[in-house]
Amino acid sequence: MEQLLGVGLIILYGLMIMTAIIKEKKNDHGHHHRRGHKHGEGFEMDVHAFASHLKSWNPAFKVAFSVALLLICIILNNPYVSMMVLLTTGYLTMIKGGLAVREYFSMLMIPLTFILLGTITIALDFSWQPINVYSLHLGFFYINTSPEKIIEMLLMILKVFAAVSALLMLSLTTPSSEIIAVMQKAHGPSLIIELMNLIYRYIFILMDVFIKMRNSAASRQGYCDYATSIRTFGGIVGNMLIVSMKKANAYYTAMEARCYDGELLFLEEEKDIRASQIVAAGIFMMGIFLVWWLTTF
Amino acid sequence: MENEPILKVTDLAYTYGNGQVGLKGVNLTIYKGEKIAVLGSNGAGKSTFFLNINGVLTPEKGQISYQGTVINKKTLKELRKNIGIVFQDADNQIIAPTVRAEVAFGPMNLKLPKEEVLNRVDQALNYMNMQDYKDRPPHYLSGGEKKRVSIADIIAMKPEVIIFDEPTAALDPINAQMLEEVLEKLSQEEKTMLISTHDVDFAYRWAQRIIVFAEGNIIADGSPLEIFKNQEILEKANLTKPTLLTVYETLMENQLLPKGCQAPQSIDAFKALFKEHKIPDLEMVL
Repeated sequence: MEQLLGVGLIILYGLMIMTAIIKEKKNDHGHHHRRGHKHGEGFEMDVHAFASHLKSWNPAFKVAFSVALLLICIILNNPYVSMMVLLTTGYLTMIKGGLAVREYFSMLMIPLTFILLGTITIALDFSWQPINVYSLHLGFFYINTSPEKIIEMLLMILKVFAAVSALLMLSLTTPSSEIIAVMQKAHGPSLIIELMNLIYRYIFILMDVFIKMRNSAASRQGYCDYATSIRTFGGIVGNMLIVSMKKANAYYTAMEARCYDGELLFLEEEKDIRASQIVAAGIFMMGIFLVWWLTTF
Repeated sequence: MENEPILKVTDLAYTYGNGQVGLKGVNLTIYKGEKIAVLGSNGAGKSTFFLNINGVLTPEKGQISYQGTVINKKTLKELRKNIGIVFQDADNQIIAPTVRAEVAFGPMNLKLPKEEVLNRVDQALNYMNMQDYKDRPPHYLSGGEKKRVSIADIIAMKPEVIIFDEPTAALDPINAQMLEEVLEKLSQEEKTMLISTHDVDFAYRWAQRIIVFAEGNIIADGSPLEIFKNQEILEKANLTKPTLLTVYETLMENQLLPKGCQAPQSIDAFKALFKEHKIPDLEMVL
């Protein structure tokens, strides 16, 4: 009986969110063209984070909320809870955040191969004898599986996707610099935090340098066949090391010129948490625990 | 300028770790509010000189005094605080993940209170007309925008002396014009400015004083006219004559301008010359 109630609640919740998505997307039609997509240039996640409507939310709140969702998914290990988390994060990222549905799913599918490879062993067993409901005879051994095992695998996939979606929500709505600032506030190790800041800035510079070198190599037939391509790539990588070292020097000089004395200090932006957000998060968490309680006991 | 020197450099010498000689005993006195163009071929020692007077490099020999105080290890920070460098390549200067944090980097390093930092960031961004960009990450800005950010970086530190290392090198004409407007604004505020450049036309029209570096020495120091009329210096430092000066000299040689007429330093001054001397034929041509 409780099980049925739980399922009912989830379905109701799902329907609510689906209608919201459909309604919002209709209203929003033609709106999301103005956002620039940078396909083929990488860094899509970064672009989405800066374009997200949730960017103005307090980053510490977002980090806490998504990490809490992640932990709940793993600890409660309940398919209904996972479903709820998946729907909610999707709602927040797409409707509230304004990310195109297609973009969201293309991001969500990135870990798909990895998840499938990791979970397939749950469903399949290898043995010398046919020992399960379904077994496939392959010469001298069998691959065995059963409906229970397959369901177990599917539930595991659901759980993993829910957990991934929680972190995806964070990274698609919060620029890296803000996540780093939250770590700084939480007194994370300063060496790692400084490195993260520098690496974040540097990735883009290195990519720029790499693209320029690659283009200039390509314009001189540097990629005309496989062997040449390999050689060109090696040359570029070697060159980039030298350029990196030079750049690091130039950077250090420029930082010293602006009174840098060993500690990287960045201005942190203050973004207020709205009470309504905390209340909503609280109610949602209670909802999750209610579903969990109804479906477990 | 009949006031106190703001910066006095005596017998400054610097050799790089790899044995390459950067500076060989440079003497220079800079006064408040001066507009100085620093010319010289690549590797003549301009950048080395800038890094020395900013305190990033420690001179091997000689001394630097800022507003009468001789700089030593203790007063080094004064130097860095009061002399700002806008580097040639903005990508080698911009370090923070957003424009706001970037402009705040200098003030934060000065250990100013947070309100003051925010205040200065706001002022600097307004100054450079970059207010709309403050939440953007630097890697989504164009070249001209990055340059503006790198200038705002320095303005936020409120230095007395601002050094621009080849500021027009990577700018399109419109952005170069924007830069000159900013320079004009800064000079109205009596900031002392040193600009290293290869653009002789720019140096000729902008500078009050020109310093020429060659092989680690200052080989000439004088007004733009003095420098650019001296063929020997121009050859020694791989320089050419500004177009406007050549035009003026050609006109003078062909007696199209009256004798004793001063060489104009800007296009506007050049045009005014014709109005002043009532040369209608040529004015029509112009």
